Amino acid sequence: MSEYTFNDPWWLIILKVLAIFVGLVLMTLFTIWWERRVVSRMQNRIGPNRVGPFGLLQSLMDGFKLGLKEEIIPKTAHLAVYWIAPVISATMAFLAFAVIPFGPMVSIFGVETPLQLTDFPVSVLYVLAIASIGVYGIVLAGWSSGSTYPLLGGLRSSAQMISYELAMSMSFVAVFLYAGTMSTSGIVAAQEPIWYAVILLPSLLIYATAMVGETNRAPFDLPEAEGELVGGFHTEYSSLKFALFFLAEYINMVTVSALATTLFLGGWIAPWPLSLWDGANVGWWPLLWWFVKVQLFIFAFIWLRGTLPRLRYDQFMRFGWKVLIPASLLWIVIVAAARVVRNEFSVTTQELLLLGGGLLVVIIVGSWVLQVRSERRERAQVEAAKAEMDKPFDPYAGGYPVPPLPGQEFTYTSRRAKAAVVEGTATRTATAVLPGESADAPVPSTSDPEEGTHA
Amino acid sequence: MNPEVMTAPSIDYIALLPYIIVGAAGVIGVIVEAFVGRNGRRPIQLVLAFGSLIGAFGVLVVNRTTLGLQAEGAIAIDGPGILFMGLILLLAILVALLMSERQLDPAGDAFAPRASALPGSDDERELTTRGYFQTEIWPLFLFSVFGMMLFVTASNLLVLFIALEIMSLPLYLMAGMSRRRRLLSQEAALKYFILGAFSSAFLLFGIALLYGYSGSVEFSVIADALAAEPGQTALVVGGVALLSVGLLFKIGAVPFHAWVPDVYQGSPAPVTAFMAAAVKVTAFGALLRVMYVALGGVRWEWEPLLWIIAGLTMLFGSVVAIAQTDMKRMIAYSSIAQAGFILIGVSTATAEGLYASIFYLVAYGFTTIGIFAIIAMVRDAGGEMTRLDQWAGLGKRSPLVAVSFGIFMFALASFPLTSGFIAKFLVFESALAVDNLGLVIVGVIASVMAAFFYIRVVVIMFFREPVEGSPAAAVPSATTTLALAVSAAVTVILGVLPEPVINLIEQAGVFLR
Amino acid sequence: MDAYAPILVLGLLAAGFAVFSVTLTTFTGPKRYNRAKVDAYECGIEPTPQPMGGGRFPVKYYLTAMMFIIFDIEIVFLYPWAVAFDQLPLFVFLAMMLFLFNLTVPYVYEWRRGGLDWD
Repeated sequence: MSEYTFNDPWWLIILKVLAIFVGLVLMTLFTIWWERRVVSRMQNRIGPNRVGPFGLLQSLMDGFKLGLKEEIIPKTAHLAVYWIAPVISATMAFLAFAVIPFGPMVSIFGVETPLQLTDFPVSVLYVLAIASIGVYGIVLAGWSSGSTYPLLGGLRSSAQMISYELAMSMSFVAVFLYAGTMSTSGIVAAQEPIWYAVILLPSLLIYATAMVGETNRAPFDLPEAEGELVGGFHTEYSSLKFALFFLAEYINMVTVSALATTLFLGGWIAPWPLSLWDGANVGWWPLLWWFVKVQLFIFAFIWLRGTLPRLRYDQFMRFGWKVLIPASLLWIVIVAAARVVRNEFSVTTQELLLLGGGLLVVIIVGSWVLQVRSERRERAQVEAAKAEMDKPFDPYAGGYPVPPLPGQEFTYTSRRAKAAVVEGTATRTATAVLPGESADAPVPSTSDPEEGTHA
Repeated sequence: MNPEVMTAPSIDYIALLPYIIVGAAGVIGVIVEAFVGRNGRRPIQLVLAFGSLIGAFGVLVVNRTTLGLQAEGAIAIDGPGILFMGLILLLAILVALLMSERQLDPAGDAFAPRASALPGSDDERELTTRGYFQTEIWPLFLFSVFGMMLFVTASNLLVLFIALEIMSLPLYLMAGMSRRRRLLSQEAALKYFILGAFSSAFLLFGIALLYGYSGSVEFSVIADALAAEPGQTALVVGGVALLSVGLLFKIGAVPFHAWVPDVYQGSPAPVTAFMAAAVKVTAFGALLRVMYVALGGVRWEWEPLLWIIAGLTMLFGSVVAIAQTDMKRMIAYSSIAQAGFILIGVSTATAEGLYASIFYLVAYGFTTIGIFAIIAMVRDAGGEMTRLDQWAGLGKRSPLVAVSFGIFMFALASFPLTSGFIAKFLVFESALAVDNLGLVIVGVIASVMAAFFYIRVVVIMFFREPVEGSPAAAVPSATTTLALAVSAAVTVILGVLPEPVINLIEQAGVFLR
Repeated sequence: MDAYAPILVLGLLAAGFAVFSVTLTTFTGPKRYNRAKVDAYECGIEPTPQPMGGGRFPVKYYLTAMMFIIFDIEIVFLYPWAVAFDQLPLFVFLAMMLFLFNLTVPYVYEWRRGGLDWD
């Protein structure tokens, strides 16, 4: 594991910090323009093309414009928190980028140094920690605005981010298993022969899904669901404070893309046809490969936004908790088990693959059987519901007068018959009636209020 | 290319089987709750609970000769440890008998159909009329028992803390599950939870300080460190004090007793029995082990502390109990007073004190379960009748129940021929053996005061005319009857023929380290 | 500690930039007071009165937060285990599987009881 030691001179540190800072701001401006152009193309529009060549300066001008706009602070806001929230959001967005490796060792003014601000044995954990602190910015912004929509948006947003952070963090476990380190440069170095995107494809898929949820982007942009929540947590923010949230969102997008590149696409390592060239992985060239890979992910983000409609909140949470998390747990177990088998019982990779293939067949057959069974059950339920509908309408179901359901026919019942019905049900449940209650307490109906899942 | 930097610890799974049985039964119970239909749950849970408790007890009896430190020194299975575990399991079986009772309450068992339903809401009424039952109480109960077994045998401060939490968290939930008087029950659960969490924090701070002093969380290493460097430091004193606060809270000793009356009053009667009997046994077991094994080297520090607390606890519990008009609250204060008497045994720091404390706990545990079995039986349509004046004339209406209750009251008041007498005699004797006459005098004074309100209950039951609306004790099912019979029998037998049990306790020897 | 110094520098720069931007608009932007403008925005209608401190919100969020903590702790245990995996004996693998199983049981229970459904 080649982990670099970081003992840059102070001027180099400042240089790198400035480069990352300026780079991220430029990247944000570029990404906003790029997104608008791509989405426009997808919608048969042209997009911003007025300011600068191809409209490239549009986002910059928007930034200036925001800076000159009046700032409206709602009178219900908690001022200190209201001010600090965008600062937290933006600062944490910048900080997460500190451990991303852009390239190998290069020489800057005669000093040999890696193209990376810093690295330590727990770099990926650091990124996750910083991302978690970033959630505070959002939830505090929503809470401190003293307004309904931002509060709901902030809550949704934090619930969403912590839910998808779990799946995201779990998808890293397989990578750590293979790399044996949490340092970003170490993980990149460990992908020298083959990228983890190839051998750990399910991890990448889980991560790619979770990162969209984590950055509140479409189709998971529920905190900003305009139709329901106006602007979500930043409804009450205007002027440059709003711009900071905007900046943070786009930097986060770049960060998760860069992290995906680092963990799964081999970081700055040149892809296959290029890697045949000896000079591909030295000097400044890897910076280009890295940039292209990151742009690949960012384009995917934009594509998703241009293509997919927004999910409903319950669908979204269900997907996170009931699909992503169990899937990643299962995947961790599979990877660890395979590795243990390889480590402990001298099994070749080929045999392992055969075994895995066999297991896959078993799983597919098993799920097919389950599917058939559940379909049969569903059909039975439909039949039962139909049979229920065919039953004669009981105007006193449950002891109360009820209207007929669609498809049911109202038939006249005499007063005496009604009385008999009430009497009969009351005596049936008399043992369970609370003392002190009259005998004509509600009578059990067929539906089950506790758990719908227990059919 | 495969350096083994870590070797697997050696674990004797046979020796740990009692824990595994109870813990696994709890886990299986949760799975049962998730996948079995509503009607099938109760029988399975009953089989799991009774099967695991009896099975664990059986394994414990078979394993009783394999003593030693287990799981890399984290668990000490020694004579007293096995005694405590056995006692906990026996009490738990009796409590399980009380919990499975379904005849006393016209609506079913003692637990709310769904604890999250708003008290008095339509939801709740509907669940009741439909005859829904909560079966989650069984896995919770098993987890708690599992935590208790671990708590009394923990030989490592971290295991001690984890066991405390495993024991307590289910109890907080169980306290809030009473079917009747929901609000009181929820209040009890919340109070217990908040104060319990608070005391856990104290315990944790104490652990941190002791770790800071000795560099280890293992009892034996802490004891060695204290022996090697007997000079007291602020770390040790602070650690011992905070650790004792955490443990004395669970015991319910003054001044950490504030939760006891409210929680006892609000919880369902079987759960109160569980808390009063098993939790007290457990907390004393852990206190004894921590004080004797880990902190034996600084016993000059904690002995005076325990004297003061024991004296305060006895006097406070006895005095305040006199003023109570609610049966459950009175028993709660009486249990505080009883804790004070047991603390006399603990504070001697001798083997005799240890044996006396264990005997006292045996006697007290069974008596308490009997008391709460009867409290659950004396009821009207709205639930248990816990006002003292409602018990008037019980002797005429349900003589058998009243006589049993009288026996328990006499036992708590430590009248001769009951277990309480022998227990108190042994405790006082152990205190006299270390020339602690002062504490014994305080104890005798407290006993005399306590006798007043125990006798008062007997007087109310037998010599007061029944008032309007005080019905006879309800007829329980066989399970409660069995639990009641066993408790009464133990209470009397220990009073008449205590030698076998005393011998058993003395054979157990002392704590291992 | 050298590895962490650049983070401090970057943090100072980023925070400085953010604080600068937040305060800048107080000076650059126009100020035209309007009573309606500083009301909480609710699509133009009178804002719902909010109690101090934000009021109450659905208990579901607390449930999600608790689940998050449980799984986050699981992940905290998984990470070092994964990093050191090749140096650990089989026992540790089995122990971790037992740990995962024990965490999965309440997860499945909550799933079956509808704790993961948002209505």
